[in-house]
Amino acid sequence: MENSNQVPVTVLTGFLGAGKTTLLNRILTEQHGKKYAVIVNEFGEQGIDNDLVVDADEEVFEMNNGCICCTVRGDLIRILSGLMKRADKLDAIIVETTGLADPAPVAQTFFVDQDVAERTKLDAIVTVADAVHLSSQIVDHHEAEEQIAFGDVILLNKIDLVKESDLEQVKNRIRKINPFAKIINTTKCGVPLDEILNLDAFSLKRVLEVEPDFLESDHDHEHDDDVTSVSFVSDTPLDMEKFQTWFGKLLQTKGQDILRTKGILDFKDESDRYVFQGVHMLMDASPMGKWPEGKERSSRLVFIGRNLESMNLKEGFENCKSA
Amino acid sequence: MTADVDQFPELDKTKFEQRGTEFKLKIPVTNAVSIGNSIAVGFGDGTVRIFFSGQSSEPIKAHDGVVLCMSTDGDNILTGGDDGRFLKISLKGEITEITNFGSRWVDHVTAHNGNLVCSSGKVVYYWDKNKKVPKSLDHDSTIGGLAFDAKGRRLAVARYGGVTVWKKDYSNKWKSTKLDWKGSHNKVSFSPDGQYLVTSMQENQIHCWRLKDKIDFAMSGYGSKIKSFGFVGDSKYLATSGAIDAICWPFDGDGPMGRSPICLPYLANKLVTYVEPFPNENAIFSGLNEGSVFLSQIENTNNTIIIRSFTGSEVSAIAVTEDRSHVLIGDMGGNILWTSIWDEEKK
Repeated sequence: MENSNQVPVTVLTGFLGAGKTTLLNRILTEQHGKKYAVIVNEFGEQGIDNDLVVDADEEVFEMNNGCICCTVRGDLIRILSGLMKRADKLDAIIVETTGLADPAPVAQTFFVDQDVAERTKLDAIVTVADAVHLSSQIVDHHEAEEQIAFGDVILLNKIDLVKESDLEQVKNRIRKINPFAKIINTTKCGVPLDEILNLDAFSLKRVLEVEPDFLESDHDHEHDDDVTSVSFVSDTPLDMEKFQTWFGKLLQTKGQDILRTKGILDFKDESDRYVFQGVHMLMDASPMGKWPEGKERSSRLVFIGRNLESMNLKEGFENCKSA
Repeated sequence: MTADVDQFPELDKTKFEQRGTEFKLKIPVTNAVSIGNSIAVGFGDGTVRIFFSGQSSEPIKAHDGVVLCMSTDGDNILTGGDDGRFLKISLKGEITEITNFGSRWVDHVTAHNGNLVCSSGKVVYYWDKNKKVPKSLDHDSTIGGLAFDAKGRRLAVARYGGVTVWKKDYSNKWKSTKLDWKGSHNKVSFSPDGQYLVTSMQENQIHCWRLKDKIDFAMSGYGSKIKSFGFVGDSKYLATSGAIDAICWPFDGDGPMGRSPICLPYLANKLVTYVEPFPNENAIFSGLNEGSVFLSQIENTNNTIIIRSFTGSEVSAIAVTEDRSHVLIGDMGGNILWTSIWDEEKK
């Protein structure tokens, strides 16, 4: 459900010391005259300059709906529901997560709770990454890798402290995990705010604009549980029934390893294009109007996750093509 | 939830609206509690107003943010807010601060016989009426709701994974019993006869424990979260919101297991968001997500009357005065109706 009364929520994530608080204070001081609520974790860095700062517990719980990876942030449901009762309208809400937080439960909260989904919308996940330390953090901490995988925008911070060749290497590493995020180079999180706020990155309309930054994949990763991404394109229309069966089963059985999915689908005998995006097993999908006149119809499908090579994704997708 | 007001035709006022008093305050109503024949209302700007005999008091500046929760203790109103304060407010509007947690919200408040209780995060604080310092009762997860039983002997605390029931033993020590069921439990209540404990869950379900043998079961099939429920009469029915109909589960005899609920239908595609039992009657007030409110007899589905018509805002509070003569209705758009319930000739 999308309507103009929903308050946009920006999630700031990033590993310890990457510069989240710097970015947060930048947003709060530069956006004069706007009313923000900032939700911080209780163990976070201090010194946030805003009227409305709410302490959160980062309490994650599992939904009792038979979906094993369907974890949500209970404290966020409570806090967002409370904020929506306020008499004064908020321009935006910013959620700062701890450095070791998994962004999935935050995103899933917006799929699972009706009240939250009606009154607020997840605008984008902004990941702040430390250009100096990211490469080693990714190796040592799966949280750092997940934060990159979930980012719609990645602020590659502290670039003044790395050599240009090292910077390229870090960027390649990021693109291998997440070829769809926009990478912005910064020092001290200096970035025009319109590049990180009001992006509407989780709207289905935005999926139509996804043009992955394809990179020659060399498949030489060191660990089997590295986060990688794959994408498929097909000019042959897909069979809707076959696709639903394959994709539904895939999310049911492998949803824990699939972090994010996005796609635009061209089904045989359907005049509308179908758009979807998901986080683990949860999905938001809808027909998105007719295919534009004179533009080639094609299906595009993107996966970010772990152990993707074990899922026979290419074969599964090929089998969905209509005869 | 919002609705486009222009889509709806101008409606005739109901007789209750005609003889009642309407207030258009444009501030979300978060809570309402009756206290004698007055009704105290909490708002989304932190104020509390006391309504009596169709008149509103001046707004009492209680909290900085939102009045998150409300209860009563004798002649006093208890409120908790997102400014971290737990307050006691007299009917004259005098405020006493019981405690202040700063940036931690006071999520739930309740009281019994002068003993005051609030929760903030994972901790319940219990002020014995004879003591200044509260007793802290710790839990592993955030608290979704609090409730005393009718006699005030047991305190139920809803949380993730079930309910913890606290009771003082003969030596005045707190003892807890855990009733576990996976998932997030929010509002909690004992049945007035003390035999059952029910919770509303994040997962669009009511969960119920029969306390004598700890048998538990779920009541499901709801299309949305159950934000409001209440026992009707002396535990004859449990009325619930969360569906297009008001769903009333039978709790007489052997309870609801294996029995069907009575479904009271209202408007197609409009969700019931608030239910308030009418004291001493097998009847409930049902408030919808577009502002209208109905009074229905549970055992006679043909006997439903409209109290208030469409306002465009979700009904968020209904309270009946102690003498059962008047009802107050409030919604998220700040529309309040105070009206007499009975027609003059019946009085």
